[in-house]
Amino acid sequence: MTTMTALTTQVYQVFIKASPERIWEAITTPEFTTRYFHGARIEVTPEWRRTTSPDGSEDWGEGAVLEFDPPRRLVHEWRSGYDPELAAEEPSRVTWEIEPQDGAYSLLTVTHDQLEGAPKTAESVAGTGWMMVLSGLKTLLETGEPLSA
Amino acid sequence: MTDDDRVFKALADPTRRFLLDRLFARDGRTLTELESELEMTRFGVMKHLRVLEDAGLVVARRSGREKLHFLNPVPIRLIHDRWIDKYTERHVSALADLKTELEETA
Repeated sequence: MTTMTALTTQVYQVFIKASPERIWEAITTPEFTTRYFHGARIEVTPEWRRTTSPDGSEDWGEGAVLEFDPPRRLVHEWRSGYDPELAAEEPSRVTWEIEPQDGAYSLLTVTHDQLEGAPKTAESVAGTGWMMVLSGLKTLLETGEPLSA
Repeated sequence: MTDDDRVFKALADPTRRFLLDRLFARDGRTLTELESELEMTRFGVMKHLRVLEDAGLVVARRSGREKLHFLNPVPIRLIHDRWIDKYTERHVSALADLKTELEETA
């Protein structure tokens, strides 16, 4: 039971040598997301966030955008549409916060919460899940190259 | 001090590693909860949490009246990518080369 409660809120933080505007662009446009988000094409508008498979052939689902405040704050529903078993779980919530720091750095905080109704999703995104996405995003923005070719 | 320095410094203390292990076991804890597992004053635990926060290994978030502490594994991942992978890869390939060589001569 303790492991279940442990995973219902997950917080990840990373410093990235990039402006908030560039980070915002990287998390909201498919040209960027395909290069660090497990290949997924992710499109974000003030109303919705839609994910499709890398080649665009499969629909991986759409979630409501709850807050849209470029380039500082994005809150959206999360459903793991890439896996039927996970997709059947209740939607959870992801919050992206981008804070400019001294120098050319920004602090990106990703909070994945409201995971009470999605224990398998919680398990799946914890561990290397979000970490791969965030270290991939950092590498892409800092070097212009994806983490894994 | 660079980001890496801060992470290594934070990890160089057994109490701080213990705190990280406690958060790994169950994330999102208050200072009071963490303090109850240590033979240490509240002030002492606060100081250690502060070092972990400065290194980015712990993120504190407000939840109503409580301040909850979350483990942020990203800096350890980055250290892993930068420092561990690099050396173990070479090590492993050196052993693989040795194996090939020994088997060839055998």
